[in-house]
Amino acid sequence: MSKILTYLAVQDGKIKRASLEVLSHCRALAQEHGWTVESVLLHPDARSLATTAQQYGAETVYYMDHPQLQAHLNAPFLAALHAVITHANPHVVAFASSEAVKDMLGALAVRTQAAVLSDVASFHIIAGGVEAKRPVMASKLIARTQAQGARVLVSVRAGAYTAEEAPTEAALVPLPFTFDVDTLKQQVREVVQDALGTLDLSETQVVVAAGRGVKDEAGKALVTQLADTLGAAIGASRAVVESGLFPASAQVGQTGKVVSPDLYIAVGISGAIQHVAGMQNSRVIVAINKDGDAPIFNYATYGLVGDLYAVLPPLINEIKQVLPTTPE
Amino acid sequence: MKIAVCIKQVPDITAPLHIQNGALVFDTNRMVLNAYDASAVEAALVLLENREGSIHLFLLGPDRAKETIRKALAMGAHEATHLLVPDDAALDAYLSASLLAEQLKQHTFDILLCGKQSQDTDAGLTGTMLAEHLALPYATNAVGLTLEDDLVVATRQGDAGQEIMALETPCLVTCSNDMNNPRIPSIKGIMQSKRKPVQTISVTPDATPSTQVMGYEPLPERTPGVQWEGEPLELARRLVHHLNDEARVLS
Repeated sequence: MSKILTYLAVQDGKIKRASLEVLSHCRALAQEHGWTVESVLLHPDARSLATTAQQYGAETVYYMDHPQLQAHLNAPFLAALHAVITHANPHVVAFASSEAVKDMLGALAVRTQAAVLSDVASFHIIAGGVEAKRPVMASKLIARTQAQGARVLVSVRAGAYTAEEAPTEAALVPLPFTFDVDTLKQQVREVVQDALGTLDLSETQVVVAAGRGVKDEAGKALVTQLADTLGAAIGASRAVVESGLFPASAQVGQTGKVVSPDLYIAVGISGAIQHVAGMQNSRVIVAINKDGDAPIFNYATYGLVGDLYAVLPPLINEIKQVLPTTPE
Repeated sequence: MKIAVCIKQVPDITAPLHIQNGALVFDTNRMVLNAYDASAVEAALVLLENREGSIHLFLLGPDRAKETIRKALAMGAHEATHLLVPDDAALDAYLSASLLAEQLKQHTFDILLCGKQSQDTDAGLTGTMLAEHLALPYATNAVGLTLEDDLVVATRQGDAGQEIMALETPCLVTCSNDMNNPRIPSIKGIMQSKRKPVQTISVTPDATPSTQVMGYEPLPERTPGVQWEGEPLELARRLVHHLNDEARVLS
């Protein structure tokens, strides 16, 4: 029987929601095709995290809990994934797309002799492989793409699927981590955490994003206040990342993160195609911009033509009045 | 210091395009140097600003891609190898990386730079595939690159922050366009580029690609939205009313 293996990425001590979304989709595919769905966890706390994997329907959870797997570094994670894939021998391996996964996927495909599709919006199983829809040309259109082979790796954009609980009695299978750290030819000297809140853009259901219209610290404070009121992560266009007002990890777009939350509020963003490529699949899009002709209004569910400095204060107030409880 | 840079010619994604019977048709035939690769070339030039060294470009592509090689030579690279494939060659990231790796194995270099992805397909696979083929330590999505004695120090934008990596040479780094602003070739650079050596080697993929585009589709249509003007308080109230009662995203 064929198998589909889902990689469950860990961030801030939890399995990433985007990984659970992919696991839920893999479970549905496995049911449809009579396959088994398995997952893999690579983290020092993997054993306790495995209960979450069981909640979401993995039938077997392979794990490695070596201390070296605490933080991302491509060589040890590649070695670990290669070992798990060799052991489990799945036909399809699915990942939630992230910078850490992008840092490994091509190399892993070569090492495991797999065909590979990255950053897909959706995928399904076909005879002899996988078919996926990939946004291309700055997400102006979709390429229907097939990968053929005995093994296919696929990474999926966040928000493509919904995570649904489906508890199982999964077997937990520890595997040895045999990577020799003395062979490392690279090391992480330091990780400079961005100071902009702790909410991960690809993990929240609401994103408030700032663009060129946000000119100064006062504007940034309004954006932050709106985000805090909504329990939202903060995004940014390339312009305000380059100006230094927002950190690079907040950048949404072709170059930054691709998000598809329930609600995306674009504050002072004009809507260059490179930015739109990163947010156009959001369910509800709100645009607030002085310029009524800004291209962002072509994508907005609700467009407000007005000065963000004038609109945000009453907007924050009005939202506070309708929210049942304001998140901390 | 020897720096190798892999570059690619891509269609200009800002030019108008449409889909005809499932195929992609560009309304202009404009081809450009992949923007991320331009950042890789720029990064190489910056590394050599106060240092002896050379920059060797590697491009896999059809005959017309030689324009793109000239562009990168005009920026200041010293020589190039053009791995020439027929216009209709079927290539994916896997085959491209294999062909490039086979050639790169015959050269020595301290650093191999690539763009982090190509701006037409945004797949971002070829760089790490090359690193694996060549057994090189690597860093992807670099926004900063410097040299410290024998080490290459790359700052990569990770998921939650910037990871400052030290790599032994030879190594591979894939470059973000947030790393720099690639220079525009000067007239002098363009003149000099015509005399710089370009070696052309015909190559043929030894397999059919494992991934293939079956056809193109337009994006799913968005329901047209509404646009309001008015007093800030009125706008705020109207929006909250719609978000709460119509879209039901506030709860």
